[in-house]
Amino acid sequence: MNMYRNIKKIGFSFLLAFLFLSCKNEDHGYHSVMDKIEGEGKSYKGVSVSSESYIDHIKTMEITTGEHTFLIPERKSKIKSYKCTECHAKPLKETQLTGSAKKAHWDIGIVHADKNTMNCISCHNGDVMDELKSLTGNPIDFNNSYILCSQCHTKQFKDWEGGAHGKRIGGWAPPRAALTCVNCHNPHDPHIASKWPVRYNSVKAEERK
Amino acid sequence: MKTMKVFKSLIVDSLNTITHGTKKYHLWMAFLTFGMLVGMYCYSIQLEEGLSATGMTDSVSWGLYISNFTFLVGVAAAAVMLVMPTYVLKDIDFKQAVLIGEGLAVAALIMCLAFVIADMGGPSVLWHMLPGIGVFNFPNSMLTWDVIALNGYLIINITIPLYILFRHYQNKEAKPRVYLPGALISVFWAIGIHLVTAFLYQGLQAKPFWNNALLGPRFLASAFAAGPALIILVLAIIRSHTTFKIPDKTIKKIALVVTVAAQINLIMLISELFKEFYAPTHHSESAYYLFFGLHGKDALMPWIWTAIPLNILATILLTFHKLRNNLKVLYFACFILFIAIWIEKGFGLIIPGFIPGSYGKIAEYTPTGIEIGVTLGIWAMGAFIFTILARTAINIETGVLRYKR
Amino acid sequence: MSDTKKKWFSLNLNNTKKRTSSSCGCGKTEGGCGSHNTQNPIKKPKDGYQQVFDVKMDRRSAFKQLTASLAIGAGAVSTSCSMIAGEETKEKAQIDWEEQFKGNYKLMTDQEKNDTVNRLVRSYQLRTGKSINMSSKNAEEDVLFGYAFNISKCQGYMDCVTACVEENNQDRNSQMQYIRIHEMKDGQGFNFNEADDNYYHEVPAEGHFYMGTQCFHCDNPPCVEVCPVQATWREEDGLVVIDYDWCVGCRYCMAACPYDGRRFNWSTPEVPEEEVNKNQHYLGNRMRKKGVMEKCTFCVQRSRSGQNPACVEACPTGARIFGNLLDPDSTIRWVLENKKVFRLKEDLGTEPKFWYFMD
Repeated sequence: MNMYRNIKKIGFSFLLAFLFLSCKNEDHGYHSVMDKIEGEGKSYKGVSVSSESYIDHIKTMEITTGEHTFLIPERKSKIKSYKCTECHAKPLKETQLTGSAKKAHWDIGIVHADKNTMNCISCHNGDVMDELKSLTGNPIDFNNSYILCSQCHTKQFKDWEGGAHGKRIGGWAPPRAALTCVNCHNPHDPHIASKWPVRYNSVKAEERK
Repeated sequence: MKTMKVFKSLIVDSLNTITHGTKKYHLWMAFLTFGMLVGMYCYSIQLEEGLSATGMTDSVSWGLYISNFTFLVGVAAAAVMLVMPTYVLKDIDFKQAVLIGEGLAVAALIMCLAFVIADMGGPSVLWHMLPGIGVFNFPNSMLTWDVIALNGYLIINITIPLYILFRHYQNKEAKPRVYLPGALISVFWAIGIHLVTAFLYQGLQAKPFWNNALLGPRFLASAFAAGPALIILVLAIIRSHTTFKIPDKTIKKIALVVTVAAQINLIMLISELFKEFYAPTHHSESAYYLFFGLHGKDALMPWIWTAIPLNILATILLTFHKLRNNLKVLYFACFILFIAIWIEKGFGLIIPGFIPGSYGKIAEYTPTGIEIGVTLGIWAMGAFIFTILARTAINIETGVLRYKR
Repeated sequence: MSDTKKKWFSLNLNNTKKRTSSSCGCGKTEGGCGSHNTQNPIKKPKDGYQQVFDVKMDRRSAFKQLTASLAIGAGAVSTSCSMIAGEETKEKAQIDWEEQFKGNYKLMTDQEKNDTVNRLVRSYQLRTGKSINMSSKNAEEDVLFGYAFNISKCQGYMDCVTACVEENNQDRNSQMQYIRIHEMKDGQGFNFNEADDNYYHEVPAEGHFYMGTQCFHCDNPPCVEVCPVQATWREEDGLVVIDYDWCVGCRYCMAACPYDGRRFNWSTPEVPEEEVNKNQHYLGNRMRKKGVMEKCTFCVQRSRSGQNPACVEACPTGARIFGNLLDPDSTIRWVLENKKVFRLKEDLGTEPKFWYFMD
């Protein structure tokens, strides 16, 4: 009978050893990943990698809006017919034609809000043709066109400032560079058209038949 | 030195035994060899083409191999139902069966390992799993527990019968002092291998069909039904083909074990079905797929609706003493119970775990010819190993094989 | 990369964007990704693992793989000892030998990591005559990568999927893709069962929204727990990676992943030579072999050098946001702190580092 007892003891000690070994050791003891971010983020000292080299082929400019400072692509040099004053030397009123003459910029249709709300001079400055203007008539530089958009699209603008709307360029590493509104949205027709997806997985379709 | 000499003689004698026999025996062995060759050929194709030669996909990433593996772990574990009464409780009625049971366990374990290796994408780097040379993710991965459990059980089940047979071969009594501790460990170990194998699936939060607390106990119950059922069938064959005496009493006692286990298994099945279908959540979808099909996809339905009636019928037949004590009925009941549990705990358990997929998509699984070929090859190998082991053991036990000084 | 050569089915009806011949998904022709070797068109259609190790064998000799470790090793030794073998053959055999018996990348010292990367680069050069650039860059301190996905913005164009496949050298034959975009009906919640992740019609479809899934790089990844050989693990910067050479192909991780984040190479992966992205990382987009797992690594070859993953860069809608969770000024942190974010299957306790949000 003694032997049985011994064997039982051995069995139990095996079991205990297994149980002990199987205790998982959680690293650093964070309860959730949010706790971990908070805990380890406290001592954040910055990173050695930079995304500068990935945007050096783009002409960028630094802007500060709200609490955020970041780079956006410079705009004026990308507009083919800029400066506008190269044609529109005089303010709009003085160059306006009447009658049947062909309109300038006839190819631009405005598909942006309705006619009640928007026309050309809602954004373009009729007096200083090289600039845009705010609703109250203050000048806005073509490079800072986001300020113009922000007048109505406040929610999108807030998200864009923070980084939830729009597209980051370069990489995740600092410095932060993002596309500005007009890099994606045509200001005269801001809706993005639908298209076909670029691929179809025929193998998956076959598997699920 | 003397031990070595006796051992050598034992090997020579047993080789002699297994290569000689009746015409029927040779036909049987030739048939199994052919099966193994077919399996090896199929496996060579699989090795060359990769696992794309099987029916498995990213959606159903475990199939026939793992199903058979799971089932056979149960068969191996069942040997304990004979070991415990014989060695530990000293019930001599089981004595004749226990060596057969352990031989069956060895064969089943080797098949298990073969199925796992057949399922591996990179069998050439399996050394990565060897503790010491490779990296063994113990205790985190349940698969490493299973590796330990299976190999440990294999060693136990080889050494105990080997010791006993070795003593009997020399006309000596086996000393309980030597084999009893091993027998005791094997009792715990047998439950261990099956629980650990169940935990392999049970521990996956990704698969709600497996992630339930009943899986482990149900594994045990079905194992202790299917394993001894197979032993009864094997004993019946041995009885009619050899001079080895197995009394009716032994078979009837094992039948009692099968009966109780089958009854418990059925109760658990009912409990599981109740949980899945009384208040179905989206976690019940796999069970729905298994039993009724989902979105017109119902490949498993014919199987499970074969298994359930067979299971119920077998349990009813076994429950009534009159029926169970009729050996012909008993054999029939054992056979259908074995088939039922093979379906239910094989692909009836593994495949629905993957269907529907993580995002509700249904890609059904059908094993390919290659896969079936490899599977049959491994079963043939198991039968081959068991035949060799059983034949040697029987000849020693019946006194045909004895050490000649 | 002409579209006629592609093995997968793809129509470019409305895609007017001109494809550059760059082999990486960044779409830039200069700067950025570096190493765009567009000259020297290669004719040999060799691919996948075979580009690295020429392990082709006939059916008869395939049996050797049963004892493969030793068989290959012994073969390598005998070749390296052979008198007639040329210098290059010997070197190849030497490399094969060392690669076959190297250890787990996770446990390697920096020197050993460097050695294995150099061997793989040299091996590729010996076999194809082409040079690749492979990195073994470790995780940087003070970095924990995170990802946010704007379900109001995604339009289902699948540009991310294509960019991912091209960047990460995924098998073209099986059309393996790490990312899936689920098209969901408005008003049914996040009902993946009813969603279609393999649509082909003009998008965005009326009354639908789109939700992308991929590996979420869980902070408590179940796949890592279950791997029997620690061939997959979470790096210090949060990336869940795989050592393809250490993986034994048991697919336990695949069963353990609740997010369908893992892929298996059921056969030898094939990438046309001219489409191979040669800017590689050991843990990322280097060539895989058959029988091993692979998965999204947040483009480790890009992210560890400060770039965004290919999917983020390719997304035309800006629905994908990637960044350093530990940097309090990062945009990802702003999103987490200011938007209503959620994750999938949060109740499983896997702590994915992949958040969804709406405008």
